[in-house]
Amino acid sequence: MPFGCPRHVKILRTHSTDEFINWSGSVRFIPRSQVWPASDEAVSVYVRDAAARSRKIRVAGSGHSSSPLVETPDILMSMRDHHGLIDYDLSRSQATVGAGTVLHDLGPILHDIGLSMENLGDVDTQTIAGVISTGTHGSGRTLQNISATLVGVRAVTGTGEIVEWSVEQAPDLIDAARVSMGLLGIFTAVRLQLQPRYQLRRREYVAGTDDCLAHLDELADAHRNFDFYWYPRRDEVKLRTLNPPQTPFPELPYACHIHEEQGYSHEIIAQERELKFEELEYFVPAEAGPACFREVRRRILERHRKHVAWRVLYRLIARDEGFLSPVYGRDSVAISVHQNASLPYQDYFDDIEPILRAHDGRPHWGKKHSLHGAALAALYPHWNDFMALRRQLDPQNVFLTAPMARLLGEE
Amino acid sequence: MLKAVGSKVWAIPGGHMPLRSSGAEPRDTSRDELCVLNAGHFDVQLQITIYYEDHEPVGPYLLKVAAQRVRHVRFNDLIDPQALPLDTPYGAVIVADHPVVVQFTRHDTSQAANAIATTLAFPG
Repeated sequence: MPFGCPRHVKILRTHSTDEFINWSGSVRFIPRSQVWPASDEAVSVYVRDAAARSRKIRVAGSGHSSSPLVETPDILMSMRDHHGLIDYDLSRSQATVGAGTVLHDLGPILHDIGLSMENLGDVDTQTIAGVISTGTHGSGRTLQNISATLVGVRAVTGTGEIVEWSVEQAPDLIDAARVSMGLLGIFTAVRLQLQPRYQLRRREYVAGTDDCLAHLDELADAHRNFDFYWYPRRDEVKLRTLNPPQTPFPELPYACHIHEEQGYSHEIIAQERELKFEELEYFVPAEAGPACFREVRRRILERHRKHVAWRVLYRLIARDEGFLSPVYGRDSVAISVHQNASLPYQDYFDDIEPILRAHDGRPHWGKKHSLHGAALAALYPHWNDFMALRRQLDPQNVFLTAPMARLLGEE
Repeated sequence: MLKAVGSKVWAIPGGHMPLRSSGAEPRDTSRDELCVLNAGHFDVQLQITIYYEDHEPVGPYLLKVAAQRVRHVRFNDLIDPQALPLDTPYGAVIVADHPVVVQFTRHDTSQAANAIATTLAFPG
């Protein structure tokens, strides 16, 4: 029997030899075992067993993160058997779903009961627990990241206890749990604040970079969802906008209209991305966004155009209260730079990251960055509260692998 | 009805995208450009392979050219499967599933005086 497979738990499967490779290919490791328990009780048994043996458990969603959040020498757990709709309340536009439900599947599931998520990120290949736990977001001046829609969670803590937390009964716990990277417990189900299902119209344009920057506030105000791509080898942008069908789009005389489509939100917001890339993303205060972008643009044009053709993405996210949310307490702009996964990226990211940090940036937990320990603690007012809670809920450090201990400065 | 004109295989040996540009971008960006004429009545799928001096070829880069259309594509913009480096010699072989005509153009705005060079690619 492979390590980590408790003898008395029948409702699980395990295999032990597969290498885990994340989506982009840069995070690779071989855990002792990979398991996908079929019930909360089975999750609990695994956690208790790991605690007793001083072993580590991490949970992988769909493997879209490119930081070593899920790297573990011991048990890599999947919540693939915790998926689908559990219950819902149309009067409050809320639904509870399995933690391992992939967003691409969740959209139609919610649609069928008349509900939709408020927003999605650029892709919908991640699990719902994964996007909540890493602070994944879309773009829109009034739209928060996906973790802000968490209103309840069922989880297995580091002691193996199965707990339920709700925003009504334990708002601080929920605020800690929103972006918690699996450090407080293994989510088995999440309750989401949703909206009655709705349609959106997408309209995209090509424009000059300076025109885009000159009209940035108007663009952000006039569209429910707005972001732009900047193309370093053309020094021009693609404007991506979404509005409800009944909301008129403004005239943009400086831009060339290139694409339009309409559909339900889950069909329209996320895009397909097959080409693999590495990404560095930071969240800077909204008011610092334009200046930060200008500096990134200048640096890329001066130093990196020889090897970099991938776009830079500029997105807007409304503030939230998640203890470790990168947009905690401040409306933010997320600036991300990309490179083909098959090409060297480290020198490029190392040169851009200080610019993002100099504008008071906070890194995306699930993407490449160099921060850890005190440097991160200084960015989050509730850092110590989160750490105290982590130690309380996971006293044996079952979820604290070496990469996570280094990240948190708890080595 | 006009018969399809051109060839299914084309080669460009002298690729080299200048690193520097001057003037307003993207109009004046230094670039290598692929110009494809599909005078036929079928959409054409192109497979481009890029060759270098010091490492293995990269590709295929896939492009479609609709029937009876032309398409201009900057090598600078290609990222799938990976970006081509600027200021680096390369060659390209283009394989089409129906005959097309391929022209290669270089815009060099490294200096303010614009330089343009263009030639038909070599038909295989």
